[in-house]
Amino acid sequence: MMKETISLIARDLKRWYRTPAQIILVFTTPLMWLLLFGQAFNIGRLAQVGDNMTDLRLVFGGATDYFSFMAIGQTAFIMLFASFFSGVSILWDRKFGFLSKLQVAPIPRAVIPLSRIASSLVKSMLQATVVIVLAASFVLVPGLSGLRFSPSFDLADALGMALFLILLGISLSALFVALGLVVRNEETLFGLINLLNFPLMFTSSALIPIALMPDWLRAIALYNPITFVVDGMRQLVFDTSVGAEYSVAVDLLGIGVFSVLMVSLGALLARRALLRG
Amino acid sequence: MYSEDAVVIVDRLEKVYSGDVRAVDSISFEVGRGAIFGFLGPNGAGKTTTISILTTQTMPTGGRAEVLGYDVVKEPSKVRKGIGLVPQELTVDDELTGRENMELQGSLYGVPYSDAKGRIDELLDLVKLADSADRYVKTYSGGMKKRLELAEGLIHRPEVLFLDEPTLGLDVQTRTSMWEHINKLKRETNMTIFLTTHYLEEADALCDRIGIIDHGRIIALDTPEGLKKAVGGDVIEIEVVECEDDILEMIRNMTDVVLVDGACTDNRARIKVPDSGVALPKILTSLIDRDVQVASVMVRKPSLDQAFLEFTGRDLRDEESTSGNNKKEPGPRKGRFHRRR
Ligand SMILES: Nc1ncnc2c1ncn2[C@@H]1O[C@H](COP(=O)(O)OP(=O)(O)OP(=O)(O)O)[C@@H](O)[C@H]1O
Ligand SMILES: [Mg+2]
Repeated sequence: MMKETISLIARDLKRWYRTPAQIILVFTTPLMWLLLFGQAFNIGRLAQVGDNMTDLRLVFGGATDYFSFMAIGQTAFIMLFASFFSGVSILWDRKFGFLSKLQVAPIPRAVIPLSRIASSLVKSMLQATVVIVLAASFVLVPGLSGLRFSPSFDLADALGMALFLILLGISLSALFVALGLVVRNEETLFGLINLLNFPLMFTSSALIPIALMPDWLRAIALYNPITFVVDGMRQLVFDTSVGAEYSVAVDLLGIGVFSVLMVSLGALLARRALLRG
Repeated sequence: MYSEDAVVIVDRLEKVYSGDVRAVDSISFEVGRGAIFGFLGPNGAGKTTTISILTTQTMPTGGRAEVLGYDVVKEPSKVRKGIGLVPQELTVDDELTGRENMELQGSLYGVPYSDAKGRIDELLDLVKLADSADRYVKTYSGGMKKRLELAEGLIHRPEVLFLDEPTLGLDVQTRTSMWEHINKLKRETNMTIFLTTHYLEEADALCDRIGIIDHGRIIALDTPEGLKKAVGGDVIEIEVVECEDDILEMIRNMTDVVLVDGACTDNRARIKVPDSGVALPKILTSLIDRDVQVASVMVRKPSLDQAFLEFTGRDLRDEESTSGNNKKEPGPRKGRFHRRR
């Protein structure tokens, strides 16, 4: 089971890194977000207009500026988008017959979604690393603010971040790979992705501080799985619980429960879809 | 009830797609170990559906099927271990090279890497892709992709190989070398092969037994020779310098011979015999004994083409046919095959 899973992961990755456009996108898309959204949308300035100097850390989840706040949120998006792609790619594989090759092969059915989730994780974790490095290096560019880590940030914190992202990546790609197997029509899948994209993205504290949300939205955002992830990561990066919604342990529990739910749901859907028609 | 060495057993198998499309309609047959069995039928006859049930991709809605002693519904994973499939639609990955595709296939089928390396070279050579092995498949022509697909199906040396229209889209040379190869596999490895085809010559050239399938039903099941016999024997056309009545009379009096038209046309007599190899020397000897000058002789073996018409011609599915007359000329029916002449 291991051998064929690895071969399939390698296949997915080859398809990825051999497409120059994909590699360029790995860098440019996050760069775009960081520059245009992160720098331009610097709502931290707003808060400082006038005399009422609030503790910005309360608004920005422990960060002292909006850019640092959103750079962390950006990594969560990377996981979300990579999951969309993994769902779409499996639908393409069905379309071009590759999936039927896998269905005839004497491999456990679970290898099919698992290898796709794994390859998606490899890609997205790489991209997330690129985002973090890019965001941090902005500080070297005159006129730009960069992602400011707490001085006490260490390897354990980095691993903690990775754990949050991996759990998010697993749960989202489990869901979207399963959807890619169930849905057999591209338009429907794209529609579904769009439908889920907005609520997942904008009802979380990835880009918009919860403190700035209206009550009804805040009520939703507090249970958005992405909120757990970014809330936990910010505490690790900025090394403070000021402005956090939950403790890191609760954040981890939240995304953990979500992972279990999504993987179960995904397994259920994928199993049905891979059953013979 | 079944013979001991049947590796594929199909018993009243049925597949009804959503509602009332009877793609496979209660078919039964067996394929013995080491045999090449062919399904011959027009588009939409149910060939691919049958293969996809036997290769555990589709659930039948009725009947049962066994491959290598395992029920395809109850023990699909055991079936998968022993079979290979070269599907009608391409499944090779465009973004990988030919060799990488083969390597992936090898690992999916659990071929140890040490064995795989040698086999891959051997197979790529066989399908004449050795020179293009390290090129991306997206740069291959359609026929090259099809050949790669065939090589993939062979990498794990399956006991039973399913070939769904293995030579569709291949040029004549490649098609012939493919036939040679399939025959060689059978001779040397005793592999059991189940293939489908539209090509009558292909079924004739390869198969030990042929099932003619149409509308999901097997309408004839026999050896190629048997099918041809059922259609009638060979036709001998003899051209003489001068056709006289006593010549015709003499031919008419021979045993096992039927004079087709009862007269000469353009000094030609058409004679139907069960076996031209036996009848022709006799006829020629008699003619020469009588000092008849023979200008030319032509022998036409019955083709599966004719056989197909014979068995399906009455039940035409020409949707545009509105008249109640269902006895059709052969012409339009032949058009439904991809014939290459
Ligand atoms: N998934 C499906 N859903 C509904 N009907 C189907 C499906 N697959 C095949 N059919 C129908 O079943 C019948 C048999 O199709 P099949 O693909 O087995 O034909 P075939 O003999 O392989 O034809 P061809 O020579 O064109 O490949 C056709 O009428 C086809 O329309
Ligand atoms: Mg077919």
